Amino acid sequence: MTNPIITIRDVTKTFPTAAGEFSALVDISLEIAKGDFAVIVGQSGSGKSTLLALLAGIDRPTRGEVNVDGTPLHALRERDISAWRGRAVGIVFQFFQLLPTLTAVENVMLPMDFSSMWPPAERHDRASTLLERLGVADQANKLPSTLSGGQQQRVAIARALANAPPVLLADEPTGNLDSRTAESMLEVLASLVRDGQTVVMVTHERKTRRFASRTITLADGRIVASTNGNHG
Amino acid sequence: MATMVSARWRKVVRDVWLHKARTSLVVLAISIGIIGAGSVLNTWSLLRLVTGEEFHASNPASATIRVNSVDGELLARVRALGTVGAAESRRAVLASVRTERGWRTLMLFVAPDFDKRIGVLRHETGAWPPTDGSIVVEASSVDFAHVRVGGSLEVKIGDQTRTLEVAGIARDVGLPPGWMEHVVYAFVTPATLATFGVPSQPNQLQIVVNADRLDRDHVRQVAYDVKALVESTGHRVIDVDVPVPGRHIHAAQIDSLLFTQGAFGALALLLSAILVVNLISAMLAGQVREIGTMKAIGARGPQIARMYLVLSVALGLVACAIAVPLAALIGRGYAQFTAEILNFDIRGFEIPRWSFALQIAVGALLPLAAASIPVIQGCRVSVAVALRDVGIVETSAGDAGFIRRVSGLRRPLLLSLRNAFRRRQRMILTLLTLATGGAVYIGTRNLRQGVIGSIDLLFAPQRYDIVVRFVKPHAPDSIAAAVSKVPGVARAEAWVAARAAQIRDDGTMGNTFAVTGTPTRTVMLELPIVRGRNLGPADTDAFVANSRLVEEDAAFELGNRVKLMVEGRPVTWTVVGVAESGPSAAAYATRAALMGMSGQSGATLAVIAATATGSASQFDLMQRLRSNLADAGFEVESGQLMLQQRAVMQDHMIMVVGFLGIMGELMIVVGGLGLASTMSLSVLERTREIGVLRAIGAKHRAIFTMIQVEGLVIALFSWLLALPLSLPISVMLGQAFGRIMITVPVTLLPEPVGAASWLAVVVLVSFVACAWPAYAAMRVTTAAALSYE
Repeated sequence: MTNPIITIRDVTKTFPTAAGEFSALVDISLEIAKGDFAVIVGQSGSGKSTLLALLAGIDRPTRGEVNVDGTPLHALRERDISAWRGRAVGIVFQFFQLLPTLTAVENVMLPMDFSSMWPPAERHDRASTLLERLGVADQANKLPSTLSGGQQQRVAIARALANAPPVLLADEPTGNLDSRTAESMLEVLASLVRDGQTVVMVTHERKTRRFASRTITLADGRIVASTNGNHG
Repeated sequence: MATMVSARWRKVVRDVWLHKARTSLVVLAISIGIIGAGSVLNTWSLLRLVTGEEFHASNPASATIRVNSVDGELLARVRALGTVGAAESRRAVLASVRTERGWRTLMLFVAPDFDKRIGVLRHETGAWPPTDGSIVVEASSVDFAHVRVGGSLEVKIGDQTRTLEVAGIARDVGLPPGWMEHVVYAFVTPATLATFGVPSQPNQLQIVVNADRLDRDHVRQVAYDVKALVESTGHRVIDVDVPVPGRHIHAAQIDSLLFTQGAFGALALLLSAILVVNLISAMLAGQVREIGTMKAIGARGPQIARMYLVLSVALGLVACAIAVPLAALIGRGYAQFTAEILNFDIRGFEIPRWSFALQIAVGALLPLAAASIPVIQGCRVSVAVALRDVGIVETSAGDAGFIRRVSGLRRPLLLSLRNAFRRRQRMILTLLTLATGGAVYIGTRNLRQGVIGSIDLLFAPQRYDIVVRFVKPHAPDSIAAAVSKVPGVARAEAWVAARAAQIRDDGTMGNTFAVTGTPTRTVMLELPIVRGRNLGPADTDAFVANSRLVEEDAAFELGNRVKLMVEGRPVTWTVVGVAESGPSAAAYATRAALMGMSGQSGATLAVIAATATGSASQFDLMQRLRSNLADAGFEVESGQLMLQQRAVMQDHMIMVVGFLGIMGELMIVVGGLGLASTMSLSVLERTREIGVLRAIGAKHRAIFTMIQVEGLVIALFSWLLALPLSLPISVMLGQAFGRIMITVPVTLLPEPVGAASWLAVVVLVSFVACAWPAYAAMRVTTAAALSYE
């Protein structure tokens, strides 16, 4: 693959458990190109969420290398990794994880505050634009508790895009939504990809694969299949 | 607004609002700490300022030399001494004054001119200086004498009684307070004194040294030079008093008292800091997931830490806004009380600004320091851990071996017991906070009992009820005979009262102290000898020193031969015994040894045991004694009831203990807040677990009881811990009180009533502290708890 935005080489991740060492990922190697909509699928316990955590710099590999947008995450110090994450990746969670005391627009502004990538005077306008793009501009001044699940997830995506990260990572973004809302959410992500955004999504729902440009299947911590194109 | 305040600071503000109860608790905890420590600091700083400025402004005498008489020529010669900066003379006359409660001792100061340069008097109200025929009362005696400006006072000197108009009130900051000394101090002119047929020639020389005013040895040397000069002119020196230069006579005691209270204030502050650690931990525990999310979207640890640390400082400043004015109010009130003990007036003085600045700095920095540990720990949590959905947290619940082994109880009770030990570090902090409060509470109760016991011990050797002081000495037998004739007198003895001072090797003199001469076979006084022996009939050149005298000057140690000036005559006596004592230095000699001193050929006191025990009948007896003795030709200077003296002393000391007790109560409040925060935190952390309990059928009452019992377990352990902890605190309090007031016996067992009442207090504190957390736990619904994110 030429010019991959994500490169994983010989990565193994093990966790100590009461029953001994548990290998969540075993000798994984993978490349994802810029502009891909990569969907990682697998059954519960296959290692897909662990893989996403490694890509987000939330966790570190036990062995091997993880490079995202030219940054070797395995070599980055802990104190630098948050700052890197704020600039380089946007994360969308299954349970949205919006801060309950901030309004929708404030939630979107928060990453900009931390990373200082936009001047303070521009942050509100940028957040409003993103909410508008995600179709929730009219919810901007509401608290998360007053929004529906779908609306919260759209705000969460807007927040993930706040610092215009090269990579958007989504962990079961539709796992907590009804099927209709989930469908519209996937369309939102697909439209982002069409605009050039790289998206890596972890899911266990097979029907989401039709949006993917690349599908990686994990089983017992190993890649068992990697296919290009839609499979819907 | 949107661009003025960034989203993260808006989050901080809204979190504060969302968790109003917890935020209020933090503010309250810091406030209590600052109120405790700040009040004492304000009192101390204000008193330092007032005593410093007022005392020095009065230009206090470096030394006072009591002489048989001072004339103009002698005064001029003293003033001419190069080492003497200023010298003045006055006459001090002991008299009696009739108050609403009978005749009291009156100390009259007489001077031709009250425009004094030494011991400058401060005019308070009415006229000043006194005119012929009028009297000006010293401010600290006003309440004791029950007088007002424009009223009148019946004054008796010898057998002459006159009614004088009270023209005004003036303050002499150099005098110990009249209400405490049971003496009315007042000022009159020589012409007024002459109307009583008493000579107005001065009998006191007050001097201020020219240089090295704060060097007591130098002052003593100058006073000795003056004494030598006085004696060379044919006058007789009775004694020389050199107080500690630059310090009010009670300043050391007040410093000691405030230091002890300050230590408790600082402890209250420390306990409130522990509480802040708990509360900030609670706040962070509830926000782990949010911290994880913020980190996931790019926040760095220090950025998040800054949010919580700035919040801590802000909460500290809010607490200051509440606590600093309150501490100022309490501090000022307490300073007023203490100033009255010292005979100062704080009106017109403000608490120094540095005291407020220090309180605000501590108020802002203490929560910052306290919060820094949990904040750093909380912000270190990795995103993976923070976002992991863990369900019921497996902590070290019941890992404490002995708790795990507890069995045979009903499951809910067992759960409460094991839960109490679940977070051992937090539990220990809560336990220590509550136990320290309890220890101080028991300690002050012990001290209170100790003080009452000490006063009992102090008065126990005195087997008499009334003391009558005569103007002139009389033959002991004639006194005893005259007193015994009065109905209601069970026994009576004639004693001698004198003043003495040590003559040092360099010729200078130490401070004066009272010497009491008793018959060798006295039945009215049983001295509590702690070392050596009591006086015998052969002891004509021996005396017993009290322990306060020995503490003040090691020259009075048992077995030493001490050169003394007794009523103006030099003698060398041996210390044959040391007796337990009250707050003042004193000594005892045989009546025979003291009689004849300064030309006194008789006794000056009658000590009387009454047949009746009540204070009213004893007061009646004292009035009849005064009247009958006057009729029999014995001029009575003053009369005093021992019951009354004891009551005043006890009230005064218990008041001091009471102020120490307030600090203990403050600490209990902090401890209660600590328990409340610990239980709130426990409920917050176990929301999911409580949901599970509800899912398996736990009713409201069961959940409420579980939390209350959990709090009670901690409270009961703190009660138990407070018992041994109270012992060192009791010892410390007893020692501090001994330095300030009177020796208090060391209590090695907590006072039973104190221990029992602390149990009641701690159970009540536990119930109140756990009420809100238990209610919060009760409101947790299964659905909400199990979807808790």
